[in-house]
Amino acid sequence: MELNNLKDAFDRVAKKQKLSCSKVQEVMDQIVQEIEKAIEMMQSTTLDHKSILAELKKKLHEIAPLAQLEGTQKELNIALSKYPKALEKTLNPDISKAYRNIEFDSHTVNQIIASHFYRQGMFDVGDCFITEAGEAEAAAAMRSLFQEMYQILEAMKSRNLEPALKWAAANSDNLKENGSDLLLGLHQLQFVKILQKGSREEALKYARTNFVPFAGNHMAEIQKLMGCLLYSDRLSESPYAHLLSPTNWDIVAEELTRQFCNLLGQSYQSPLSVTIAAGVQGLPPLLKFMTVMAGKKQEWQSMKQLPVPVELDKEFQFHSIFVCPVSKEQSTEDNPPMLMSCGHVLCKQSINKMSKNGSKTFKCPYCPSDVDAPRCRQLNF
Amino acid sequence: MEIDPLPNGSGSNAATGPETAATTTAITVTSNTAPSSKLSHLTESLKLEHQFLRVPFEHFKKTIRTNHRTVEKEVSAVISSVTDVADSDEISKDDAILSLTSLVSRLQGIKRKLEEGSHAENLQAHRCRARLDHLDSADAENLSEWNNVRLKRVLVDYMSRMSYYDSAMKLAESSNIQELVDIDVFQEAKKVIDGLRNQEVGPALAWCADNKSRLKKSKSKFEFQLRLQEFVELVRAENYMRAISYARRYLSPWGATHLKEFQRVMATLAVRSHTECAKYKVLFEPKQWDFLVDQFKQEFCRLYGMTLEPLLLTYLQAGLSALKTPYCYEDDCTKEDPLSQDSFRKLAMPLPYSKQHHSKLVCYITKELMDTENPPQVLPNGYVYSTKALKEMAEKNNGKITCPRTGLVCSYSDLVKAYIS
Repeated sequence: MELNNLKDAFDRVAKKQKLSCSKVQEVMDQIVQEIEKAIEMMQSTTLDHKSILAELKKKLHEIAPLAQLEGTQKELNIALSKYPKALEKTLNPDISKAYRNIEFDSHTVNQIIASHFYRQGMFDVGDCFITEAGEAEAAAAMRSLFQEMYQILEAMKSRNLEPALKWAAANSDNLKENGSDLLLGLHQLQFVKILQKGSREEALKYARTNFVPFAGNHMAEIQKLMGCLLYSDRLSESPYAHLLSPTNWDIVAEELTRQFCNLLGQSYQSPLSVTIAAGVQGLPPLLKFMTVMAGKKQEWQSMKQLPVPVELDKEFQFHSIFVCPVSKEQSTEDNPPMLMSCGHVLCKQSINKMSKNGSKTFKCPYCPSDVDAPRCRQLNF
Repeated sequence: MEIDPLPNGSGSNAATGPETAATTTAITVTSNTAPSSKLSHLTESLKLEHQFLRVPFEHFKKTIRTNHRTVEKEVSAVISSVTDVADSDEISKDDAILSLTSLVSRLQGIKRKLEEGSHAENLQAHRCRARLDHLDSADAENLSEWNNVRLKRVLVDYMSRMSYYDSAMKLAESSNIQELVDIDVFQEAKKVIDGLRNQEVGPALAWCADNKSRLKKSKSKFEFQLRLQEFVELVRAENYMRAISYARRYLSPWGATHLKEFQRVMATLAVRSHTECAKYKVLFEPKQWDFLVDQFKQEFCRLYGMTLEPLLLTYLQAGLSALKTPYCYEDDCTKEDPLSQDSFRKLAMPLPYSKQHHSKLVCYITKELMDTENPPQVLPNGYVYSTKALKEMAEKNNGKITCPRTGLVCSYSDLVKAYIS
């Protein structure tokens, strides 16, 4: 990225602006000085005041303050006009060029935004937003859903595990079903916390009441934790020092968030964040396309499919897409992907074409095998 | 499209049909989705930030221009006063001293004002630089936090444009990103928009006068539209004489370039406000004021180098389209996909589907991408899962695999690898 270019251009602007400022100061001072000098002369000498005034007038004309300012001002103007040009050259001056003129329902958009604030735990901003936008009913449900989660997380931040433990215990069956170790993770934090306070007996008691249900599947972890008991007053110098790391808290808090969202039937990431992030990756190829296609806006408006492929990072990949490497078309129910005997995969229509509707064997486009169309198997991803 | 089977070579890549070339690139693309693509995505995404740098700069430039104009005006006023004093024949010595002293104190006043002005300039320069630094600070390590801030900026932009100023301020303050958003610029627009909503053109006309030269440069006719509206209001109030003199003064200068509209609106003098003639009736409708608000917003955005559409909607549209596949609308769509939600589906409805040139397969069990590292394997019933998921299942169940979608049980050794290009 040529940000340095822009920085240089802006530095020039800032420099010229400073210069121009100090020049103005200087010119003003000069004027004040001349006038004060004239006043003093009138007060202290017996010279004719008229001649002093005439002299002052001549002086000021000689100083020609505005002409003096002109030079620095001109340089400033040049810098001022160069910077936006550099911006336009380095960056994309109008990203709404890729915008299709489709009216979004602002009610729906506002609802999405309000939900986003609530699920990110920004309750104040969310409340303010729904009042201002007049969408009072819209996202209220989301607010109450996530309020409990953020209360639990807030408590964890101040190293209080009670609400988290209570929630995890109440939902332990669901958590087990999802294969989550959240409850053990929380107990582990609590155990280490007790131990850190130096109370070995209490820690042992805690372990006895809480670790037993996990003995079956998590023997190794529990053994380690019990090993800690030996070092209760000097845990930080023991082989178990890593148990004290605050990142353990972050990891458990993240798992709690994930499980909480999951049980609410919500996604882990805010859907608005995901969509905007996808948009940021999707816009550049679209804009490039718009520049190439300038003037053909009409076509673009009526398209069923984006005119250019948009490669998103894999975190945005939620569905299996099969593109036939021969026809370059995406598979559909009527044109499903088929596995050939060699292990390569093509779409049904391509196989039909190459085998003349199954009447002859053909060669796989990727390897030397002969393929018999009727022996191809349909795949389900 | 007819594809000839490739010649049965030695199995090497000696045969270089276009398809083979495509395959090799496909493989490299899918296996390289790691950091390098992240960084190239980042570089590309920074290029979308024109408005982010442009708006504070336009603001800065405006302040510089205004300050300079004050200097020019005041300095020439002082010089001409000196000239007046010097040229007057009658003036006594005491009077001369008196008027010169008052000039000095006037100059001191200007100097103070200029100091304030240059202080404002410095703050704005600082803001411009903070923006550049913010763009520069984005790298692979802090990317998720940086993206988070970008979403907040985009939301503030949306809320400012929709006139939800309190929410915009609150979000900016609570996230400590005041330097990275332009609420103050929008505050300037607020006055004008509020005025127009109350059917007052005053603030809008003042804004036009402030930005006269730049509006003229972009051939804007916004001022003309305001004047037309004011004329129509006079006709509505049956104040015909004033309407005529108003037209003579403010509308006739535009006659040369906008004759049609000028004539049409003059005709209202004859048909008057209760006309049923559709052509003139619309001129008296209250939605004309909404039209002026929209018009103003456009002029305003253009002047500051903003996009005409809110950033949020532009990104939302591109994102929804990039994510939209026919599978999003099926019942088993994963909830991690934004398009599993009704509100997102509704927005995406009129948008085109995404387009893919290469297959991308997601394992039904682990939701992870199946690529060369984690290749897809086929069960005897044609269902496909990732090697990783199947291996794990086999290890837990003595080599037995159970298809989660059909219940079919088979052995790990029955699986076949599929090669997807």
